[in-house]
Amino acid sequence: MASERPGPPTYLGKPTISPFPAAPQTTMPFLSSGPVVGSEGTGYRANTPSGSNGPPMSSPPSTYASPNVGVHQRFPSQQYPAPVQQISNLRGPPAGQPVLPPPVLPSAQQVLPPPGSFRPQPQIPSMPMGSPPQSANLQPPRGIVPSSPLESSFSAPRSALQSSLHGYPSNQANLVSQVPPMQSPSFLAPQGGYVPPPPLAAPVGLSSREQMQHPGVGPPVGAMQNLVEEFQSLSVGSVPGSIDPGLDPKALPRPFEGDLMPNSIAKMYPLNCHSRYLRLTTNAIPNSQSLLSRWHFPLAAVIHPLAEAPDGEEVPIVNFGPTGIIRCRRCRTYVNPYITFTDGGRKWRCNICSLLNDVPGEYFAHLDATGRRIDNDQRPELTKGSVEFVAPTEYMVRPPMPPLYFFLIDVSVSAVRSGMLEVVAKTIKSSLDELPGFPRTQIGFLTFDSTLHFYNMKSSLSQPQMMVVSDLDDIFVPLPDDLLVNLSESRHVVDAFLDSLPSMFQENLNVESAFGPALKAAFMVMSQLGGKLLIFQSTLPSLGIGRLKLRGDDPRAYGTDKEHALRIPEDPLYKQMAADFSKYQIGVNVYAFSDKYTDIASLGTLAKYTGGQVCYYPGFQSSIHGEKLKYELARDLTRETAWEAVMRIRCGKGVRFTTYHGHFMLRSTDLLALPAVDCDKAFAMQLSLEDTLLTTQTVYFQVALLYTSSSGERRIRVHTAAAPVVTDLGEMYRQADTGAIVSLFSRLAIERTLSYKLEDARNSIQQRIVKALREYRNLYAVQHRLGGRMIYPGSLQFLLLYGLALCKSIPLRGGFADVQLDERCAAGYTMMTLPIAGLLKLLYPRLIRIDEYLQNASAKIDDFGKFSKSLPLTMQSLDSRGLYIYDDGFRFIMWFGKMLSSDIAVNLLGVDLSTFPDLSKVSLCELDNEMSRKLMAILKRFRASNPSYYQLPQLLRQGEQPREAFLLFANLLEDQNCGTCGYVDWMLQIHRQIQQSA
Amino acid sequence: MDWSLLSWLLSFFLLIALIGFIIYQLICLADLEFDYINPYDSARRINSVVFPEFGTQGALCTLFLISGHWFMFLLCLPYLYYNVRMYSRRQHLVDVTEIFNMLNWEKKQRLAKIVYLIVLVFLTIFWMIWSLLEEDM
Repeated sequence: MASERPGPPTYLGKPTISPFPAAPQTTMPFLSSGPVVGSEGTGYRANTPSGSNGPPMSSPPSTYASPNVGVHQRFPSQQYPAPVQQISNLRGPPAGQPVLPPPVLPSAQQVLPPPGSFRPQPQIPSMPMGSPPQSANLQPPRGIVPSSPLESSFSAPRSALQSSLHGYPSNQANLVSQVPPMQSPSFLAPQGGYVPPPPLAAPVGLSSREQMQHPGVGPPVGAMQNLVEEFQSLSVGSVPGSIDPGLDPKALPRPFEGDLMPNSIAKMYPLNCHSRYLRLTTNAIPNSQSLLSRWHFPLAAVIHPLAEAPDGEEVPIVNFGPTGIIRCRRCRTYVNPYITFTDGGRKWRCNICSLLNDVPGEYFAHLDATGRRIDNDQRPELTKGSVEFVAPTEYMVRPPMPPLYFFLIDVSVSAVRSGMLEVVAKTIKSSLDELPGFPRTQIGFLTFDSTLHFYNMKSSLSQPQMMVVSDLDDIFVPLPDDLLVNLSESRHVVDAFLDSLPSMFQENLNVESAFGPALKAAFMVMSQLGGKLLIFQSTLPSLGIGRLKLRGDDPRAYGTDKEHALRIPEDPLYKQMAADFSKYQIGVNVYAFSDKYTDIASLGTLAKYTGGQVCYYPGFQSSIHGEKLKYELARDLTRETAWEAVMRIRCGKGVRFTTYHGHFMLRSTDLLALPAVDCDKAFAMQLSLEDTLLTTQTVYFQVALLYTSSSGERRIRVHTAAAPVVTDLGEMYRQADTGAIVSLFSRLAIERTLSYKLEDARNSIQQRIVKALREYRNLYAVQHRLGGRMIYPGSLQFLLLYGLALCKSIPLRGGFADVQLDERCAAGYTMMTLPIAGLLKLLYPRLIRIDEYLQNASAKIDDFGKFSKSLPLTMQSLDSRGLYIYDDGFRFIMWFGKMLSSDIAVNLLGVDLSTFPDLSKVSLCELDNEMSRKLMAILKRFRASNPSYYQLPQLLRQGEQPREAFLLFANLLEDQNCGTCGYVDWMLQIHRQIQQSA
Repeated sequence: MDWSLLSWLLSFFLLIALIGFIIYQLICLADLEFDYINPYDSARRINSVVFPEFGTQGALCTLFLISGHWFMFLLCLPYLYYNVRMYSRRQHLVDVTEIFNMLNWEKKQRLAKIVYLIVLVFLTIFWMIWSLLEEDM
């Protein structure tokens, strides 16, 4: 055992003190890493001898941590002083720490790497340290006694950060006592191999803190500290064949905080656009292809160009007027904060291609002594990473189009019976006032069953005129115009039409659906202008071109090579139509309602290539799902939409975007055509290095979205970001962004399901994670003898869980029986467009117990935060005396425990659970009592956190099979279910695979 | 002038036509890559010559078969099989929506075809001369 779990002394919080009888080899790490420090020029630079204010990149390699005790140990790089009492609680006496054999150590001691101020630091006086542990001195508490004059200047940021670290442990204390403070990437100390950021890189202090605190300490100590902060590890029981998995499930990392945006990069490059618009999978671009090939994750950007900004942070609009938009002559980069002015302000150097451009006379301004333009502060395009330019006529191929909505509505018997038609008509009518672009907005309708019904809505009519076309083979449009009308002029006709639409087809018994011909007709009507086509489909297309077969009911196809064919469009017509729609600037949103197979795979193709989305309401019943449809349709109609848009991302020399993932159509190698794009769509794109070696120190990215706003203005939204180029693989892992990586993984895996088996897609995710962690392990473990421990970068601590969640997500889960084909495809289409935060929420939903809060009479909604604690998604979290809410951003599942006090159920639902009512038919509405109002307030609050979708509450009583298993248990992803492994097994499996060929 | 020489001549011209079709497709792909034409036009142009290419290739095989040039016929078979397979999987046409993702593969596939056809051309010329000489003797 001793040999396997080496050197305790070198990690944080375990001062090397002799009472480690079983682990004597403390010196090894030093000896092995010592020489490396000096010899490797790139990754590991020697420390500046003074160590007091070296540039960030001179901080030495941080390569080591050897937590040998403890189940879950982490080494946050930020050793901000944590509150004193916490230390005394959690940190045990440094000595007397026994080296226990695995697996689980119930110890509270090893928990927190002791907060910086009290970290006893093993210090090695000089390079050739032959002598083991005894050299450990205690470092003076950093936060309290500044050890260098410089120190004081850094105390401020630290104390600010301290508070954020603070809450976490206390939050978790009862559950996982050994989980240390939340690590936020912003505190990661940029280390060896770091290319110094441009002058703006403020946080020099943060990054070089390590050295500053130890004036006069030689390199080894710095090295040791850094390496201690490098990664986290998990001790994995190494007893083969033992039943105890050797992992404490409670100690595993869980993303209860949801999406954590990386903010170290924002500190380093404060002029970058906000990370809600652009995120890179790692904020450190490798400088060579060989380095890139060792980073096994995708190198990519996730772009959310129209993300909703909170009040006060809206993207500023800039109008250059007659000057024209200032762009680089050669690479067409837009003016941005990273360009530099020279020659007294007469020239500017492009930051992407470094060409010197002339400054137009109207834009000229003198430079001040520091080389800044004197009017710099008045120019948002030079101070903000995100701006919107008003585009002059050169950017238009035709006059800006008006916002145009065309509705293609199925009126066959199932659409009428389910109540879909009525809800849709009412929702459209109520949204008419809020449609963007008044008074230019245009609108049109087409309904179909076995025939097509056109509506003449000319403003001079008092009632809409219906024209029926029944020739499906030779479709024609009965009127040249007046099928698409200006809403403000024909408002009364549109109102009359929408009022009468549900009753018009009340008696319709037609079961056929001439979807293909209707689509063609809609295309003919819209092709003049483009716009948004909303399709409401509730049966399988059965007549005319584009009719589809029932092909979803073949369980034998699963597991064979033919499996993927079910997930791609059957009829090439759909792809062809999608391409044509995109060409004529028509964006398609598909709403599907059938409880039977409707071939979402084929229908969704229309949305896929036109920047649209697929909304699927299986088994739609207006009494149950009406609210959801109403909200989501209204949002679709009223949210800010960018029309006839194209998007391009530019980047510096040597890097190139190669593949793009999301809903769009590629119009040239790097131009994304987006007929209609809105604030709920994100896109991902992968980078590759063109040159073998990057010589620049920074790579710049610029996303430009050229679009027509609803107000009829042509605009260009530009987001600019910079990222440092690094030479060190460790740095890439340190700067990795879990959210972006997961987003890429999900998109790649879903694309993979379109040409391979589900299992292949799942395996590919697993393999990539394994490869990356193995590479990471090779970086550190061998050299520091981490034996049986699983190590991973702190920035990626949740990646494993998200990987598991992805494998269990609806598009990739199980096989034939686990998810219906349509649901699988619809979820796949949705996940291809989801922004990162929404995706992470969907992958690891919130599970919160609320009965205590509801029963507590004095608790107000503002106190809800105190009561709501996210629970691990496992069956053990559920107590039969409780009431739980499961929130994945798309729906709420409310689970009523068997022994829940009956007045809660009566108060909330108005029914007694002991009578075993059918909860699937009970809908939740506000009743006249305090508890019900409180619950509604909670739901409202949850909904506000994800406004893109309406979360419909689904009620569930404990023991109510099979709904319980299907709705909730299948989603408790940390459990073993449906033949898949749980979180602990998953970790063990990954760990084994990492070790197999490590 | 005997039948053999004529058949070689004919197959030579068929081969040249095939190479022409493929080069045309490659040019369309290259234009697309360098952004000279849009994907819609590119796909339309390429798809318009896919069937002529397949037909010509079929004719070439038939010609070798009926003229009794077994060896050349066997050499042509893999190409024929490949075309038939693509057709039966409905992958023979370029998909305008995925054309950029498939660009490299489409180019590679056509380059391989070109190399293959050029080998066939040389063989044909060789046999043509051979049959000429034989006739003289």
